[in-house]
Amino acid sequence: MNSCRSSAAMLLLALMPLQACTRDSRAAEVPRAPQQGAGGDLAGRFVSHQEHIQPAGVKPFTGLQLVNPHEGDAKAAAMGGKLFVAYNCVDCHGADGSGAMGPSLADNRWHFGGTAPEVFESIYQGRPEGMPAWGSLISEDQVWMLVTYVRSLSKGKDVTTENFGGKTVERTGH
Amino acid sequence: MRARPLFLAVLTIACTHESGTPPASSTNAAFTPVTGTRIAAPRSGPPGEWPMPAGDYSASRYSELGEITTANVKNLHAAWTFSTGVLRGHEGQPLVVGNTMYLVTPYPNVSYALDLATEGQPLKWKVRPENAQTAVGLACCDVVNRGAAYADGKIFYNLLDGHTVAVDVASGKLLWRTQMGNLAKGETMTMAPLVVKGKVIVGSSGGEMGVRGWIAALDAMSGKEIWRAYNIGPDADIKVGKRFKPFYHSDTTANQGAKSWPAGTWQQGGATVWGWLSYDPELNLVYHGTSNPGPWNGAQRPGDNKWSAAIIARDADTGEMVWAFQPTPHDVWDYDAVNENILVDLPIGGKQRKALVHFDRNGFAYTMDRATGEVILAKPFVPMNWSTGVDLATGRPAINPDKAPYQGKKVSNICPSLEGGKNQQPAAFSPATGLFYVPTNNLCMDFEAREVAYLPGTPYIGGNAPEVPGPGGYKGEFIAWDATTGKKIWGIKEPYPVWGGGLATKGDVVFYGTLDGWFKAANARTGEVLWKFKVGSGVVGNPVTYTGPDGKQYVAIYAGIGGDMGLLIAGDVAANLPYDVRERGSTLPDLARWTSWGGMLFVFSL
Repeated sequence: MNSCRSSAAMLLLALMPLQACTRDSRAAEVPRAPQQGAGGDLAGRFVSHQEHIQPAGVKPFTGLQLVNPHEGDAKAAAMGGKLFVAYNCVDCHGADGSGAMGPSLADNRWHFGGTAPEVFESIYQGRPEGMPAWGSLISEDQVWMLVTYVRSLSKGKDVTTENFGGKTVERTGH
Repeated sequence: MRARPLFLAVLTIACTHESGTPPASSTNAAFTPVTGTRIAAPRSGPPGEWPMPAGDYSASRYSELGEITTANVKNLHAAWTFSTGVLRGHEGQPLVVGNTMYLVTPYPNVSYALDLATEGQPLKWKVRPENAQTAVGLACCDVVNRGAAYADGKIFYNLLDGHTVAVDVASGKLLWRTQMGNLAKGETMTMAPLVVKGKVIVGSSGGEMGVRGWIAALDAMSGKEIWRAYNIGPDADIKVGKRFKPFYHSDTTANQGAKSWPAGTWQQGGATVWGWLSYDPELNLVYHGTSNPGPWNGAQRPGDNKWSAAIIARDADTGEMVWAFQPTPHDVWDYDAVNENILVDLPIGGKQRKALVHFDRNGFAYTMDRATGEVILAKPFVPMNWSTGVDLATGRPAINPDKAPYQGKKVSNICPSLEGGKNQQPAAFSPATGLFYVPTNNLCMDFEAREVAYLPGTPYIGGNAPEVPGPGGYKGEFIAWDATTGKKIWGIKEPYPVWGGGLATKGDVVFYGTLDGWFKAANARTGEVLWKFKVGSGVVGNPVTYTGPDGKQYVAIYAGIGGDMGLLIAGDVAANLPYDVRERGSTLPDLARWTSWGGMLFVFSL
């Protein structure tokens, strides 16, 4: 099929199993294709990282003004969880973001910052150790759903002390 | 359900000890050496050196050194150590040539030359080639490197980001750096090269990323590519021509590297070459395996998917395919066939056979004819239930339908797991006993296949396969194997998969390391553990032995947990970055009590 060659159609394909298996009425609202130049006005923006030191008198990076339209929305988080599988995030970051090829997203530790705008930036423009830049492929709204899902993963978790009892996580090797 | 009787039958063979706690060795007093065996191409250089990844072209990992014996090995002690400065999985092994030791670290793939002739082993040089950081997140199974190869005053090794490099050993100068893999497609490189007649032979990694696997030869002097053969696709691309004579008739139709896939899907079909190479100088054939087909979900690629999960013999000069054999046609279990092919001459059925012995991920040990690709025998070397046996008329496994994953159904308790009965951890062979010394895994899995979209640069997997311990209460075993009969002679059960390789020596001492950080020496004839030392981190590398400038025999091993087992499965020992804390993995839930990450070389002597 010729249409398969476009990345847009590929992402559609990626979403097909998602739409087939969900009864959530929101499924229909998932943007079906990347919008041309989606989020173009965000490109090149910076957000601050936790390890950045701000010299006195310098204003914080403007990226912090990004606002998650789905903040705290459980349905958006659930949809983000489906996108997490559809876009193959799961095979890098593990089931429930528990860590695999890529780092854990469920430990409340953030290499590039864990605020909504910072996670948005990580997904939107990628990160140095192999995190792809999704901003040119998927809609801004889908990125925010992913942000909402990812930030929900470590809620209430305490991973500070390992006492070798209790819960374990199922992991797949390769 | 139908699998159960078989399962129990295998159990009775494989589990002589039920104890799950650290190693009880099972001995066999009746053992007599398998006589008339020999390494196909024993080393021609000094026995005190270790110039190639497996010591010799035959991948034997055998040393003629015999100062360390079953009688004195109890006196072995740590002689010196070296920190590589890197904390990820240290698969692979050092090289020793003359009075210099060469090491290559996991990413960022630093190489070191250590002067063994000077007290304190100072560096002669340290080389840090440019190596794209992006590769770290694209490597499926930790950022490992399986070592360098030495030839003609140079060492050659691969960079994770898809380059092959050559370093002048006299000066440490980087002589060339050639891009072989395409990182943007998810291709990385982790395997150890083999140098054959001035050609550096290398292969790709990335079977979980929807790449198209290849093997290639570079000119050792210039770094220019001489030939490249894909393993899937049309005949011309995979170098199938007049010389191709597979043993099994069904393998002879044209363009099956493309036709055994749904239209075009071979382009993302995996079949990478991330394991070990061996070479027979007399036949001039290079032997390699290929990885799993992509994606794991078999529903997206009906057909045999040739030549994924295959063993292939190629002409070393041209790359032409001479024969190929697929241990697992249409693999849906992630049973790569990349494990080493050990080249030995063996007496079988009253005849001396030019054999190739291969312990496959799928749990069968294959004794093959290395000239023709004929399977002489194939027997399970670990507990298994996915197949009831190999039909020697066709070479194909009889598949237990209850243990074949397919999309939409979760299949439980498939043995062995996707880590295989054995994985990258290479076995060793001793012509003194005629036996193979094989580090094995004893894990099973539940497999759930699902549809997956190909998105370049992201994993192309389509499956989830959490693992559980195999039958018998142990998760790994170091076994001695008679490849002329397909029988286990003895086994040392281990609480964890034995993810480090073996070493056999003339002193009848065999060595291996464990995930929980023990480096062990055992009697090659009985399996009795004679000595052990707790090294600084779990072992996923392979022991080597050499003669020091003082004339003594040394044994060296990396301690540095990681690789697939450490990084992906254990979880709790994988968090070697301050911003990455992982919950315990259910497969090896308490491994982190016994070890932590590291990156050290340990060297022992009497």
